[in-house]
Amino acid sequence: MISLQNLTKRFGSQTAVDALSLEIPAGQIVGFLGPNGAGKSTTLKMLTGILAPTSGTATICGFDLLKDTIEVKRRVGFVPESGAVFESLTGLEYLEMVAALYAIPSEAARARIRQFIAFFDLSFETLTDKLLGAYSKGMRRKVVITAALLHNPPVVFFDEPLDGLDANAAVGFKALIQTLAREGKTIVYSSHILDVVERVCDRVVIIDKGRLLLDGRPDELVASHASGTLEKLFTQLTGGTELEQRAQDFAKTFRP
Amino acid sequence: MNGPPPIPASPPLPPLASPQKALHKLFLTLFLRGRSSRGLRKQGAPQSVGSKLGLVLLIYAGVGLVALAFVGQPVFAMSLYLHAMTLVFLGMFMAASCGEVLFNKEESDILLHRPVTPRVLLWAKIGVLVRVSLWLAGAFNLAGFFAGIGASDGGWLFPPAHVISTVLEALFCAGSVVVVYQLCLRWFGRERLDGLMTMAQVIVAIVAVLAGQIPQLIGRFNGHLNFNFHSWWVCLLPPAWFAGLDDLIAGSRSGPSAILAVAGITATAAILWLAFEKLARDYESGLQSLGEAAAPKRPRGERRRWLATLAGRPPLRWWLRDPVARASFLLVAAYLFRDRDVKLRVYPGLAPMLVWPVILLFQTHGPGKTDGFSGLSGFSIAFSGIYIGIIPMLALDLLRYSQQWQAADLFRVVPMNGPGPLCDGARRAVLCVLTLPVAGALALLAWQIGSANSLLPLLLPGIIALPVYAMLACIGGRAVPLSLPTEEAKPAGRGATMVAVMLLSGLLALVATLSWNFGWFKWLLPAEVVLAAGLYLLMRASVGAARWTSPE
Repeated sequence: MISLQNLTKRFGSQTAVDALSLEIPAGQIVGFLGPNGAGKSTTLKMLTGILAPTSGTATICGFDLLKDTIEVKRRVGFVPESGAVFESLTGLEYLEMVAALYAIPSEAARARIRQFIAFFDLSFETLTDKLLGAYSKGMRRKVVITAALLHNPPVVFFDEPLDGLDANAAVGFKALIQTLAREGKTIVYSSHILDVVERVCDRVVIIDKGRLLLDGRPDELVASHASGTLEKLFTQLTGGTELEQRAQDFAKTFRP
Repeated sequence: MNGPPPIPASPPLPPLASPQKALHKLFLTLFLRGRSSRGLRKQGAPQSVGSKLGLVLLIYAGVGLVALAFVGQPVFAMSLYLHAMTLVFLGMFMAASCGEVLFNKEESDILLHRPVTPRVLLWAKIGVLVRVSLWLAGAFNLAGFFAGIGASDGGWLFPPAHVISTVLEALFCAGSVVVVYQLCLRWFGRERLDGLMTMAQVIVAIVAVLAGQIPQLIGRFNGHLNFNFHSWWVCLLPPAWFAGLDDLIAGSRSGPSAILAVAGITATAAILWLAFEKLARDYESGLQSLGEAAAPKRPRGERRRWLATLAGRPPLRWWLRDPVARASFLLVAAYLFRDRDVKLRVYPGLAPMLVWPVILLFQTHGPGKTDGFSGLSGFSIAFSGIYIGIIPMLALDLLRYSQQWQAADLFRVVPMNGPGPLCDGARRAVLCVLTLPVAGALALLAWQIGSANSLLPLLLPGIIALPVYAMLACIGGRAVPLSLPTEEAKPAGRGATMVAVMLLSGLLALVATLSWNFGWFKWLLPAEVVLAAGLYLLMRASVGAARWTSPE
């Protein structure tokens, strides 16, 4: 469903993503992990057509990212880390605008929006009366997730989707993406909340400095490295050692 | 969160209809409401361009009544005036709006992964800019539409002809601004987009103001179109092309007007082709670059340390003894150099204001010129000096707005009684970074051009008044930097304030010039020093006593 072939992005002399190659079949939830600045968001932005790759390419649903960009964009949904929305629109205006960009008829769009707001426990009045600038972070995130799934895409990229969601919404969201994957959608899930990734994802890809470090099932990776948890494996690979000791030493500097 | 009914799987995707209409509606809504909101309800959205547009259109329509003075003159003369002024207004509007509309950073995360091409985005945005341009042009030309009927060679064909030429001019103006951006992107590279956007808007704003000088040229050839030795070059100016179209349809219908009309139509078509076909790829790369962070050529710290170094050494170290004022100084100076949003607002906002004293200096003291008013020798020098006061006033006002305005909540969290020290730092930063260099440049210009050398002391009244002007913007603790949302940055009231400042500057310059010419200047200066010092101290006490008010 998704195929990356030597996907590379350079900003001047700095290489953000370095010849990344991956194959992701349909129906899989892939946890896309890496420390800050590893190149995760840049990779997702390339795969969604926001950034142009410096070299290499990718195919999504059989369409080449560089040659059939619009066809790729029609088949992907994206929840960006920024959670950016047009703040001076109401939630409904924003979602109807997004629906129009995918040529979803307004009646069908309104019906889908109602399904999403029921799922996310949002009131229709909130959606019609409040400007997005006045939404809480969690409510705004729910609107962004709705906007990513409104056109029922076969491939969805999530960049820190739980940021701002309360515990109930987060539980519902995790169940939602697992169900979507069972129905054949491909989900790429980038997050720093590793226990969630460990529980939800079928496969974990860890990158650092734009390069692939590890790729496999979370339980198998943890077992093969004898690290106990995915979090420990992650810090072992990317964070260096003695993190806890350094934190304790730093905390001592706050003593009066 | 009970299980909702399943969403049906999408059928094979049909051909995608153009999202042009949805995007046009989106960008028009964003333009009229502003891009961010603090209001809780749709009805409570903050005041934006939209809510004040009615007043602006009314003012434009009022200014447009000047066209009635051209009744009885040839169509070409009237039309040249109307098109020149329309170009000024549209240029100013485009300069103020197009950067934010064309290149919005957050937009890349919202729209660039949707199935829309950059070209469609560009058309939708330009469509909105042209639409609002036509509202402004329509309001300004309202009286002109009818005045043209009463032109010496006019008639009932003038209104429709002028509608056509005005629409063409709006398209030409919008296309030209886009081409300026695209050429800058092509020549200088997308890594420098932020600086280029500022430069492009400054250029557009200055050109628009210079175009406003065209009406003065009308008198040089009595409004009659002929390619003689004195006036042929007027025909190279865009307003003359569109005036030629009016003249061809509803005026003299002469050969030269046909040539100008063809030039106008051809130039508009060429500009639109360049903007939307030939150079469209540059816009796409510019949009993509908004989501990128270019690798620095050398360590950023090295480039940015100079600011802190400068503030840490005398004389700035002595001047910035208060730590809060010093922090505010560094914050404002950093934003003036680095922040795209602030640069796009401040520099293009100041540039057209600064063109006026330069024009005045050249008109009265340029090569071969003498200050022509008896008893008012040096008025333009004195006016230029006093007019500099507009820089801190306008800059401090513009610096109140930022896309990161919510970060200014920090100022209310820290243990500080009121906004006085913050205003103080901002004021000093504006004086150091903006005002002093401009004052120096104007003094140099006055010194360089022909007949003005002996009149340079006339700059002193302006320099003495400068601290008062700067403090005026801080009264009541208003000038807290970067603390208000950007969509509130377009108040119509600012125009009225600026007109008042210009009138005041003119009055003070008149007093200074009269005192110079009648020998009282040596008494004027100490009197002004005493008065300015008194006012400054009073205002400073008022700013220091200001307390935080509710942000709502």
